[in-house]
Amino acid sequence: MPWKLLFRNVLGHPMRSVLTIGSVAVAVFLVCILHAVTAGLRSTVSAASADRLLVQSAVSLFVDLPLSYQQKMAGVPGIEAICKWQWFGGRYEQDKGGFFQQFGIDTDTFRTSYPEISLIDGSYEEFVKNRTACLIGTELAEKYDWRVGQTVPITGTIYQRTDGKAWEFLVAGIYESSSPSIDQQTLWFHFDYLHESLEAGGASGPEGVGVYMLRMAKGTDPISVQRTVDAMFENGPQRVNTTTEAEFNRQFVSMLGDVPSLLQMVGGAVLFAIFFAVLNTMIMAGRERTRDLGIMKAIGFTDRTTALLLVGESVLVCSLGAAVGILGGLLLEKPFQAAMSSFIPAFAFDKNTLLLGAAIALGTGLISGLVPGWRAARLTTVQALREVG
Amino acid sequence: MSTSIDIRSVTKTYHRGGEALRVLDELELQMAGGTFYALMGPSGSGKTTLLNLIGGLDHADSGEVLVGDEDLTQLDGSALAQWRAENVGFIFQGFNLLPVLSARENVELPLLLAPLSKRQRREQAERALELVGLQDRMDHKPRELSGGQEQRVAIARAIASDPQIILADEPTGDLDRTTADSVLELLQRLNRELDKTILMVTHDPQAASYAGKVIHLDKGKLGRIDDNTAAARN
Ligand SMILES: Nc1ncnc2c1ncn2[C@@H]1O[C@H](COP(=O)(O)OP(=O)(O)OP(=O)(O)O)[C@@H](O)[C@H]1O
Ligand SMILES: [Mg+2]
Repeated sequence: MPWKLLFRNVLGHPMRSVLTIGSVAVAVFLVCILHAVTAGLRSTVSAASADRLLVQSAVSLFVDLPLSYQQKMAGVPGIEAICKWQWFGGRYEQDKGGFFQQFGIDTDTFRTSYPEISLIDGSYEEFVKNRTACLIGTELAEKYDWRVGQTVPITGTIYQRTDGKAWEFLVAGIYESSSPSIDQQTLWFHFDYLHESLEAGGASGPEGVGVYMLRMAKGTDPISVQRTVDAMFENGPQRVNTTTEAEFNRQFVSMLGDVPSLLQMVGGAVLFAIFFAVLNTMIMAGRERTRDLGIMKAIGFTDRTTALLLVGESVLVCSLGAAVGILGGLLLEKPFQAAMSSFIPAFAFDKNTLLLGAAIALGTGLISGLVPGWRAARLTTVQALREVG
Repeated sequence: MSTSIDIRSVTKTYHRGGEALRVLDELELQMAGGTFYALMGPSGSGKTTLLNLIGGLDHADSGEVLVGDEDLTQLDGSALAQWRAENVGFIFQGFNLLPVLSARENVELPLLLAPLSKRQRREQAERALELVGLQDRMDHKPRELSGGQEQRVAIARAIASDPQIILADEPTGDLDRTTADSVLELLQRLNRELDKTILMVTHDPQAASYAGKVIHLDKGKLGRIDDNTAAARN
């Protein structure tokens, strides 16, 4: 196998090779990103806890439920604890572009219901003791350099304080989550603090609860709890929809529209286009080399060698593209992760994603090389020399 | 030992659009080893076709093509490829060289098919290039060479693996008189000093005068054979 010739053929057309390598790299990069997004979304769903149910309004996640529901649900057999979740929707003024979520929760049941959360700094007791305290994720702490004991100002958008100032939360603990279903950049505070401020007229905004989390005792049949709770509020004032956490996450993901399938479709179309571009380039390269191949055959190189020369060229170019794409993906993994961590905490390239990218590139290279290679193998010297000679 | 060529009742027919064109018609031709032959004839008379048959690039429809003790009509594709690698060197009219390789690398190409070390290949290629007088152009790419230099590199490549037969199809067709003469002198030297059997197709009587014998082909049949050994030697 004349390897030198193979490399020279690639180097002989630097522009064409660079463009081909570039488009394969983009394709592989795209596959890696899209795969990581869909796999990340999927693992968010599958990492959901089986013993937690979520109760939301049957109308929409954006419609609040009455506070009084908690008392009623507490009597349902199998329910061990209830934790309110209320979306706060505040903004940290110092970082206009940054987005992270804040929720008011019940401090007495939160800790035991979410064992995947552990504090790496501060203490839960301090959080419980202090009415204006909050817990923040490690990524938030890192991003804004927030520490335990510090007060962070959050401007309300749904809940405005009557004095016109920002809400102030005292950082009592920094948490880390071991499950992809909970991200590392949420701020949790006392639901009661919000509630009392509204009651006392210190703030204005809708009163209610976005979601009730129900933690079931071991061995409880979730279906029966779901049915009982749904039936309980069948006649209002607000009908509810009780789901497993997995189902809830799935709905939350699909609220973004069917992003995963859309991304996959677009990605597939791009891959297809790039495949044909590479194929076309290689067929052109093969035609250009018709005379070269004829001369090689006259010298005594076999049909197989001349075909392999073209296959090798195509595979080499596509492999280089794959390498660049994978390298780019690995370099950009962290920035992408940071950008997406609030809604895809599990965004990451796994080995399979990289292998898939490499496999697609190799497949493209192989097929794109075999087409002109097949022609080269059947070409006789006499034809080759007559064609251009 | 030089290789003789024996064409026995060879017929070659091309079919184009339902029409059969008999290019070689039961051709009989004996060529002695170690002789420089020129092959002349009008355009379309079958010169290239005959050359390709002798070089094992094409198959005859019937008859025998004996080169040395090998009957080429009995060999299949890959056996022919191997036979070519060992026994023939080709020189075509133009664009003989692979543009991405240097002169030396082009000459090394046939040596890749021989059981040689990298160093042996290099030395052998350099020797061939020295023989054609291009020792100071070894690292040039084809586009950096003149037409005559390119043809001399092609000759160096044809002789690099030391084949007994050299087949040249209008090797000086694209060259001016002086350049052509130097290339022809080179071929003549290969025949005289290295005892190569050379068959060269040409339209140019002056080019043919460098050969020992001139074969005339007409409409697929053998015409006369001129012997200008006496004239060429003087
Ligand atoms: N592949 C082919 N299919 C059909 N006809 C062909 C083919 N190859 C050659 N011919 C025809 O066979 C005839 C002989 O061709 P050949 O190339 O041997 O002639 P030539 O003597 O070398 O001519 P020239 O001096 O023009 O090179 C020509 O009429 C040519 O058109
Ligand atoms: Mg011809």
